Amino acid sequence: MIIAKNALPGLLDKLIAEYEVYAPVKEGTYSLYKQICQGNEAYFGYLNSKTPPKGILFPQSEKLFSYSGAQMEECIDSKKKVAFGIRPCDARSLLLMDNVFKNDQYTDPYYMNRRENTLLVGMACSDPAPTCFCTSMGSGPFDKNGLDVLLTDIGAEYLVEEVSAKGKELMAKMGLSAAGDSQKAAAAKAKESAEVSCRVSTDALKAKLDGNFYDPIWDSIHEKCLGCGSCTYSCPTCHCFDIVDEAKDCNGCRVRNWDSCMFPLFTLHGSGHNPRTSGKERMRQRVMHKFKYFVDRYNDMACVGCGRCIKNCPVNLDIREVLSDIQGS
Amino acid sequence: MRMQKLASAIQDAAKKLLEEKKVDLVVGFSRGSLPLRSTPCFIRKPEDAAKLTWDCSCENNLANYLRRRQDRVAVVAKGCDARSIVALINENQIDRNNLYIIGVPCSGMVDRVKVDAALEGKDLIDVEEKGDTLVLKAKGVTMEVKTGDLMHDTCKVCRYGNPVVYDMMIGDPVPAKPEDNFADVAAFEDLSPAERRAALAAEFSKCIRCYACRNACPMCYCTECFVDCSAPVWVNKSTGTDDNIMFQAGRVFHSAGRCADCGACDRACPMGINLRGMTRKMVKEVKELFGYETGVNLDDKPALAEFKADDPQPFLVKE
Amino acid sequence: MQRNPYLPLPMKLVKNYTETEDKLIHTFTFQFMSEEDEKSFPYMPGQFAEICVFGKGEAPFGIASSPTEPGFLKFSVAKVGVVSTALHLMEEGTMVGVRGPLGNYYPVEQMKGKDIVIIGGGFAFTTLRSLINYMLKPDHRGDYGKITVIYGARNPGLLLYKDERDDWSRRSDIDLICTIDRPAEGWTGKVGFIPTVTKEVAPSSENSLAIICGPPVMIKFTQPELEACGFKPDQMIMSLENRMKCGIGMCGRCNVGNKYVCKDGPVFTRAELNQLPNEY
Repeated sequence: MIIAKNALPGLLDKLIAEYEVYAPVKEGTYSLYKQICQGNEAYFGYLNSKTPPKGILFPQSEKLFSYSGAQMEECIDSKKKVAFGIRPCDARSLLLMDNVFKNDQYTDPYYMNRRENTLLVGMACSDPAPTCFCTSMGSGPFDKNGLDVLLTDIGAEYLVEEVSAKGKELMAKMGLSAAGDSQKAAAAKAKESAEVSCRVSTDALKAKLDGNFYDPIWDSIHEKCLGCGSCTYSCPTCHCFDIVDEAKDCNGCRVRNWDSCMFPLFTLHGSGHNPRTSGKERMRQRVMHKFKYFVDRYNDMACVGCGRCIKNCPVNLDIREVLSDIQGS
Repeated sequence: MRMQKLASAIQDAAKKLLEEKKVDLVVGFSRGSLPLRSTPCFIRKPEDAAKLTWDCSCENNLANYLRRRQDRVAVVAKGCDARSIVALINENQIDRNNLYIIGVPCSGMVDRVKVDAALEGKDLIDVEEKGDTLVLKAKGVTMEVKTGDLMHDTCKVCRYGNPVVYDMMIGDPVPAKPEDNFADVAAFEDLSPAERRAALAAEFSKCIRCYACRNACPMCYCTECFVDCSAPVWVNKSTGTDDNIMFQAGRVFHSAGRCADCGACDRACPMGINLRGMTRKMVKEVKELFGYETGVNLDDKPALAEFKADDPQPFLVKE
Repeated sequence: MQRNPYLPLPMKLVKNYTETEDKLIHTFTFQFMSEEDEKSFPYMPGQFAEICVFGKGEAPFGIASSPTEPGFLKFSVAKVGVVSTALHLMEEGTMVGVRGPLGNYYPVEQMKGKDIVIIGGGFAFTTLRSLINYMLKPDHRGDYGKITVIYGARNPGLLLYKDERDDWSRRSDIDLICTIDRPAEGWTGKVGFIPTVTKEVAPSSENSLAIICGPPVMIKFTQPELEACGFKPDQMIMSLENRMKCGIGMCGRCNVGNKYVCKDGPVFTRAELNQLPNEY
């Protein structure tokens, strides 16, 4: 199917009538995924958002339930949503997060309810950034995995491809015209010329991480790290969270907030003992979790190569260099 | 070319210090992994000194890495770094005898947010220094911008580009700048309380509580930050605009009389929040109330660590 | 969809008992509000629960009661932070929330037919109380061989569960050896650190399993004594602690290597721990 670029706001308005629609919105020099009330609020002149769209399913701060004494009221969001314009790397990140929020014993109703009620309309990357390395992490600029629909920019129009049954159902309601051969060819050309110039080899990575927990390399890797949460909060696959109560006397709510393994408080015991006393242990945990423990548990690296951590790090600590140093050690 | 000469001189100095075993470690900058970026670098072997670099992207405050060290360290310090070092020495966080300061007069570092704005959000692919301009290249775009226009606002008003304390100075002193009139702060002060509240809310609704600002600041070194205190909970950890403002306000108040106006917090913020709006208001207040500027004099006591009988008391109700 | 794992079960505090002389450990008894609630909480010795104090927060505690003691749950809690302090000050009759049961449990199936050596230090004894009561129940006692318990604390006032200890001392089907660090007035039992007493007792490792719970330093020095008696790594069972929040393997903070203490543990064998990095 085809939609003209100038008809896209209209399409979004149609969606807004039925769904909560999240799309990239311009914020100063960057863009963020926000809920839009009008189709013309969306901005597609972006490479990727500053912070990942995981917040649509897993908000940075969310109420789990409110209570008055022991009287509890769950706050589960089952509203129908469309995440519009998300990149293939971010779509893949949700597939990875699914492993966490539904394990062999438990299901997280907050994430999973939103997940099941959210349609993902993706935007292919015709122009990957120099910091993108998705192809090294199991994804690609035109990867359809995890998406319901994929849009490809072909100049004055977008080619609209239905990927899943849900996507087909959604697009059937939109009344779009069919794509012609020239348009399909243009999309194929765009796919061919989309080049992810950065390659990050991970061939030797797992084997190294399986054995280097006590290696002195960790002493140098973390040295410039500030221990802030920029990387973790920019990361589409980081899922760690904290649970706190915000209440007055015994009326209030239980809240879940993103948390970061880079913070010292993350593993502090009530006794005062902390298994990860310094930045070294915490950096090691971050790398091990993403590139070994997640692989051990779910057979996938918890990284989609979006490059946000690289761009957002205040001291330019580059995960690509870290992985290369580890494998070269 | 001037920057390259400075870089060479820094490399030579570092190499010599390590060869002569005058220090165990040199903290400086090396080339970053992205165009127009440098990254803090820790050199322990003389042959690694060649990694050190110097250019207009050396934005981090390296004093952040100098607290409570057991080893002998040399640091490549800009003017603002030196002020932070003085402040930390006065708070007993740095042993002056174990620190060798390689002072580098600084006329300013580039603001990455301004570069992004110039490129309208496109990713910088390449950069070339051409005299007093930078040639920025992004996909389908090449533009020449005056380096001075890309300077961080902190650098534009900085009058301490020449390190106030050093063991050796590399490069020529930078010319003096006019007095800082805090025009940016005055503009905020002219707003009504409701307007101020709205302005702060607009900025701090963007805050993701990553604490990059706190961790980039050389003066934020509490073992337990007040945000992490659970008894009592001073500030909620959730990202509500009011809590975000309270966190930053708390941090700014804790830095009163200690903040060297280096802008590291502002630069570290991934969301581009105008943190200087708050920090500079505090710097202005401290200057007006106590005639004090942090870190310009090794012999000064930190402003809020002492009192004088004739200290201003505008909060008193006078007869 | 299954029950929301973040929503606690309301329970009533029926007893707030000051367990130790220094008043720093209290034992709390919480009553299920209905039979249905109790059925929704089938637990085994070794598991833990997140106790929720409405208005303050949640914290994980090992379950001290045994599933063979119906109608209630017992927890022994040291006063260290916000939630534990709130519990200590709590009036009987107050409602709390309990989330669980969480974690894995002592391998009571594998323990069948074996001699069991239980070594507990300080107030880490909580889940061991659950295990001992479970094994001593008439239906279960015959499943297990000799039961030897070595329980030590700094002084007599810090030993938990006096009533249970008195009962166990009187029984012939369990050998309870209590010890304190230094001689104390009125104490007629053993005096000595747990590792030393373990060496003295010299439990046989033949067809035996050892379960050790205690502070890291106690485990560090007791383990070699057990090894000297012939216990292999897969014969030594431990219960780990870690900072926890969700308790269900999602919030990511309690991991030791690729295992979550809340979900894959807290019970691990020494052999399993040897495969994991020393980060606990």
